Amino acid sequence: MTTIAAAMPLSMETVRAREAAVRRFAFTDSLFRRLTFAAAILVLMILGGVAVSLVAGAWPALSAFGPSFLTTESWNPVTEKFGALAPIYGTLVTSGIAILIAVPIGIGITVFLTELCPRPLRRPIGIAVELLAGIPSIIYGIWGLFVFAPFLQTYLQPFFIKLFHGVPVLSSLFAGPPYGIGILTSALILAIMVLPFITSITKDVFDTVPAVLKESAYGIGCTTWEVTRRVVIPYTRIGIMGGVMLGLGRALGETMAVTFVIGNAHRISASLFAPGTTISASIANEFTEADGALYTSSLVALGLILFVITFLILAAARFMLMRIERRAGS
Amino acid sequence: MTQMVSLDKIMPQTTAGKTKIEVKGLNFYYGESKALKNISLALPERSVTAFIGPSGCGKSTLLRVFNRIYELYPKQRADGEVLLDGENILGRGQDLNLLRTRIGMVFQKPTPFPMSIHENIAFGVRLYEKLSKSEMDGRVEQALRRAALWEEVKDKLDASGLSLSGGQQQRLCIARTVAVKPEVILLDEPASALDPLSTAKIEELIDELKSDYTIVIVTHNMQQAARVSSNTAFMYLGELIEFDRTEKIFTAPAEKRTQDYITGRFG
Repeated sequence: MTTIAAAMPLSMETVRAREAAVRRFAFTDSLFRRLTFAAAILVLMILGGVAVSLVAGAWPALSAFGPSFLTTESWNPVTEKFGALAPIYGTLVTSGIAILIAVPIGIGITVFLTELCPRPLRRPIGIAVELLAGIPSIIYGIWGLFVFAPFLQTYLQPFFIKLFHGVPVLSSLFAGPPYGIGILTSALILAIMVLPFITSITKDVFDTVPAVLKESAYGIGCTTWEVTRRVVIPYTRIGIMGGVMLGLGRALGETMAVTFVIGNAHRISASLFAPGTTISASIANEFTEADGALYTSSLVALGLILFVITFLILAAARFMLMRIERRAGS
Repeated sequence: MTQMVSLDKIMPQTTAGKTKIEVKGLNFYYGESKALKNISLALPERSVTAFIGPSGCGKSTLLRVFNRIYELYPKQRADGEVLLDGENILGRGQDLNLLRTRIGMVFQKPTPFPMSIHENIAFGVRLYEKLSKSEMDGRVEQALRRAALWEEVKDKLDASGLSLSGGQQQRLCIARTVAVKPEVILLDEPASALDPLSTAKIEELIDELKSDYTIVIVTHNMQQAARVSSNTAFMYLGELIEFDRTEKIFTAPAEKRTQDYITGRFG
């Protein structure tokens, strides 16, 4: 300080004004820091609050039924015996099938858009796919119930039932009267709904592949298929997995569209054409009519199970995406 | 004398070998901007040709025309002729995958594929040849030996190609290129991201490979061009200024601009 003062003598007022400004900055700075910190903490508190209240609400059911809540199929409001197995099964199966269908199609769309698509078509197709994500799920629901399900009932389901008749395993997977609605119909609707998520994330991670890596693969004579299969997909594997997990998280929690087309039956059938239920569809359907405390608590317990499943899956997805971003950055 | 210079541009006088690649009136465009202007030159077979010049002069662009890798990008195009063994590779009927097996390329940054060391090499071979496992192993070993990498990796062929050091990765990329048995190898500043020791190894390797392959190397390092090449082309602002025996370019260039560049007066 003394050397600076010696080099450049300042009047007393200037020094004092400067010190006041510094104090003012220190105050606004710390205020700003506290405000943003509080906003960030608020998110954690909400998350924690939801978790705590779910556990508290689910406690009567969980303590009444114990672990068998997870393994019991029957769901009987009259005798107040509740088990979550059918909704858990329905949730996992519909989401799983949806992912199985949506992933290859999503990757196919991405490969076409990033590698093969003529330039003028690239943006329109990309935007159309992303717009799919913006359609409210109720619209998928009514479309599924009034248009898609009758179509399946008239054409696709009878065809598959006849096709696999007498084939072991397959004949029981595709059996029973063609209702139109059911597990498979929900899975198909979910596949359409998660498609834009998977596509847009795979598109982002495909863009992290260095151009020169692709050039060197083309440079030894690879076709687009070989470059994609052997270089681009292995390089972005983790990111694609992340995208799939995000899609899965969406599919697991999707309520409205599924409630419309799944049939809402608390049972587990071998046939994919049979009606079933999912966790979110059960809750949405039954909350208004849940009169007993145990009934309500059982529904909250279903919610808690869904919360845990989606939380784990989204955490896994974030972790995987973080890893690929770190690699792309280095 | 001035007439002699223009002849020199087409073909250096003292190279006895036959012409491998002949470029005639080549223009290249990135969208609207013209990056190569009426380039004509002939590259002799089984020798090393170096392209030098300041950044942005078009030397990498010229290299990228030879295997038509620029076609990956829709706004880039070339006109003129590039004859490989007398056949125009810019023609419509040219199969790009086939062309790229005949003309291999190694890039500035090492680009090992995300797979094992063995697979990095076997992958390209398998695309076009059906080999038994033992034949493939032999081919992989041969390619790694050619690239002077065998001794360093023979005990860890299953390790990821990404686990190697930068210099080793670059030699892996050269091995991968050699394994496909190309006729021409294009090297785009292959040593600019490497330390001096790895650079020396790469240069040694180039020297060995030239008995079997026609090699074209783009480099910013003029000592490197002088060390490894028999002919050198000096380019500036998209034009070929001078093309001659390396010795002559570096000791008695015919053009003033060449002289200025190699003595460091611009660029």
